[in-house]
Amino acid sequence: MIAIPLHFDLPKNLSAKKFINKLSKNLDIQLSNQQYTIKILFDSFDWRLYNADIICEFNHSNSASQLSLIDRNSGKLLALENMPDMMRFTDQFPKGRLRTTLAPVLEMRALIPLCQLPHNAHQLNILNKDQKIILRIQLDEHELIANQLHLYPLKGYDKALKKVTNILQNTFDLNPTKYSILKAGLKLEGRKPKDYSSKFRININPDMRADEACKKIYQQLIQVMQFNEAGTLADIDTEFLHDFRVAVRRTRTGLSQLKNTLPTKEINRYADFFAWLGQITGPTRDLDVYLLSFKKYKEVLPISLREDLTPLYTLLKDKQKHAQKKLTENLSRSEYRTQLNDWETFLTQQPITKKGKKNGIHLTVKQLADQRIWKVYKHVLKEAKDISESSPAEALHDLRKTCKKLRYLLEFFQTLYPEDDMKIILKALKKFQTVLGDFQDYEVQEINIKQFSEEMMANKVSPNTFLAMGVLVQYLDSMKCQARAEFSNQFALFEQAENKHIFKNLFSNKFSVKK
Amino acid sequence: MKIIATYNIKGGVGKTATAVNLAFIAAQNNFKTLVWDLDPQGASSFYFRVKPKVKGGSKAMVAGRRELEGLIKATDFENLDLLPADFSFRNLDLVLDARKKPTKRLKKLLTPLTHDYDYIFLDCPPNISLLSESIFEASDILLSPIIPTTLSLRTLEQLKKYIKDNKLNHLQLIPFFSMADKRKKMHREIMESLAEEHPDILSTAIPYASDIERMGWERMPLGAYVRKSRATEAYMALWQEILGVIRLT
Repeated sequence: MIAIPLHFDLPKNLSAKKFINKLSKNLDIQLSNQQYTIKILFDSFDWRLYNADIICEFNHSNSASQLSLIDRNSGKLLALENMPDMMRFTDQFPKGRLRTTLAPVLEMRALIPLCQLPHNAHQLNILNKDQKIILRIQLDEHELIANQLHLYPLKGYDKALKKVTNILQNTFDLNPTKYSILKAGLKLEGRKPKDYSSKFRININPDMRADEACKKIYQQLIQVMQFNEAGTLADIDTEFLHDFRVAVRRTRTGLSQLKNTLPTKEINRYADFFAWLGQITGPTRDLDVYLLSFKKYKEVLPISLREDLTPLYTLLKDKQKHAQKKLTENLSRSEYRTQLNDWETFLTQQPITKKGKKNGIHLTVKQLADQRIWKVYKHVLKEAKDISESSPAEALHDLRKTCKKLRYLLEFFQTLYPEDDMKIILKALKKFQTVLGDFQDYEVQEINIKQFSEEMMANKVSPNTFLAMGVLVQYLDSMKCQARAEFSNQFALFEQAENKHIFKNLFSNKFSVKK
Repeated sequence: MKIIATYNIKGGVGKTATAVNLAFIAAQNNFKTLVWDLDPQGASSFYFRVKPKVKGGSKAMVAGRRELEGLIKATDFENLDLLPADFSFRNLDLVLDARKKPTKRLKKLLTPLTHDYDYIFLDCPPNISLLSESIFEASDILLSPIIPTTLSLRTLEQLKKYIKDNKLNHLQLIPFFSMADKRKKMHREIMESLAEEHPDILSTAIPYASDIERMGWERMPLGAYVRKSRATEAYMALWQEILGVIRLT
């Protein structure tokens, strides 16, 4: 077993030169390299590497560029490869340890730079009497954070590590610390690890006034939009746009389901604005979904037809590019910026204090949540019960939308209720939503692929491409039918007594209006 | 993971230089690589400046009392480790002979390392012995350097016959020309005629070069002290050609 690397923070008054000179008195040191290096730390937008305890560093200097993966807890090097340029997605990496370590963690997510740390990297080797390297030392002389020293032990030369650690303790009064580069780098950017999550969670006091609580919810949603806006514009990872859109949808649900908590004039204004935002971001997201599904599309085809689907990929890619361009134009418009800023300002304004007819002023947030969730839940049950074998697809689509409203309401107010109960009903609802989502997605994809084929007719595409698309449409249709057939089973599961009991128990209390 | 033995019945044909230089190239290409110096002379250990010493000697090692993992030394190069030689390796035949299933022994010892490395190079001593039989059992590839001399044909044929007679079907023999001096008429002629008779000989030949001889002075792989030369390019081409012919298993 190779010993793990040791890390030390150097005091401010100890320059690299002074340190090396002092260390040379006790050891045979070779300065193998000294380079101005830029260290860039990466993670996916949803902190997948951090959650897997991995730090991803790209060290770039004039003579070399290396990507290394480091265990966040032990500081142990997991993989290191020379890489002239940083790649964004794992499938762009050359085959090797780095790729096999990253791929299952990142999946389709992009690596995004978190912070840059320029420094002078001094690479030192400790040599034995045969001039063989027995320990590697790296001294990073940083511009923005404290200088750091790293000891990298070599297999079979553990004694050298012990010797140097003793010297550092006795001569320099230095003790090993945790590998802290990520924390230090993020601090410079005013960030913290896991400061962003796609999951919505907000702590609300049950006795808070409903209108105040709703503003708090909207404030969190606008922060999500702001966080994802730059990534959406840069088209780095499809998930930025996805989360941006989810925040827009959640806001829209709030504006429609909790409308009595805010003045009607404002509700109408912003309902229109967020509807527009949903509309202009839709085409790019739809195309992203097709492109993300493309691998799957190919897999369902017979091997002999798989390559014939490439013209469809080209078409989708072109359309996505075009849609992204339009989206960027829309999000760069001053009207967008003004509306969003106005909304943000409005949310920070003091709520109305005088009593009126509006519920928001009379109700606590708990009362409002009980009332709304119970009402929408009953809607879900009614709509679902009305669906029979012969019901049109629209009935399922409408139910899907109602379920989404219920889901968002449950998520807005989840901290007002017992965690275990909320987990059970959210899980059951998610499962029910999956079958409804599948039905809708397969149907829309089937219709659109038929439309794409019409467009492609004009482009002299090979007949085999149409054959492949035909097989794909057939597959999507069979999956749609499967989802349709599964609907009643999934509804029965959602409607089961345990879930019903929880819903009733948590939300059906008659709310009382404050006098 | 592939185990590649550099082997020839004859000595002094460039086995160690091959193992050390190809392992260096593999490691530079981000493959985790190990060189096991099985030759009691310890030439590859010398090239990596590692003391040719194994705790407990060959007996403890073959008995499995000391796991190979604990005997490995990092070299001065990223991704490249060495299992050093020991003078007691001169008795490896006898030590193996004292064990049950002696020819399977090396393979068993190497098994735990197969997850840690992409390539393991075995730098073998010459001769056909119990140790070489054990090496043949453990290896996927027998990389055999041949000096273009009249004796080479004989040794190559001997080796092929041995592999056939002993039904070592898992073992892929890859011969190539080593220490080739194209200025010598005899070398040129032998290379031409051997290549015709044995199309399995690789087309890349390692030249006789003073750069390679300097390895003993520099005590490091060729690529570590010569950035670009005829010899470094030949080793790189050889490695590429080997990767192209390695059987996909």
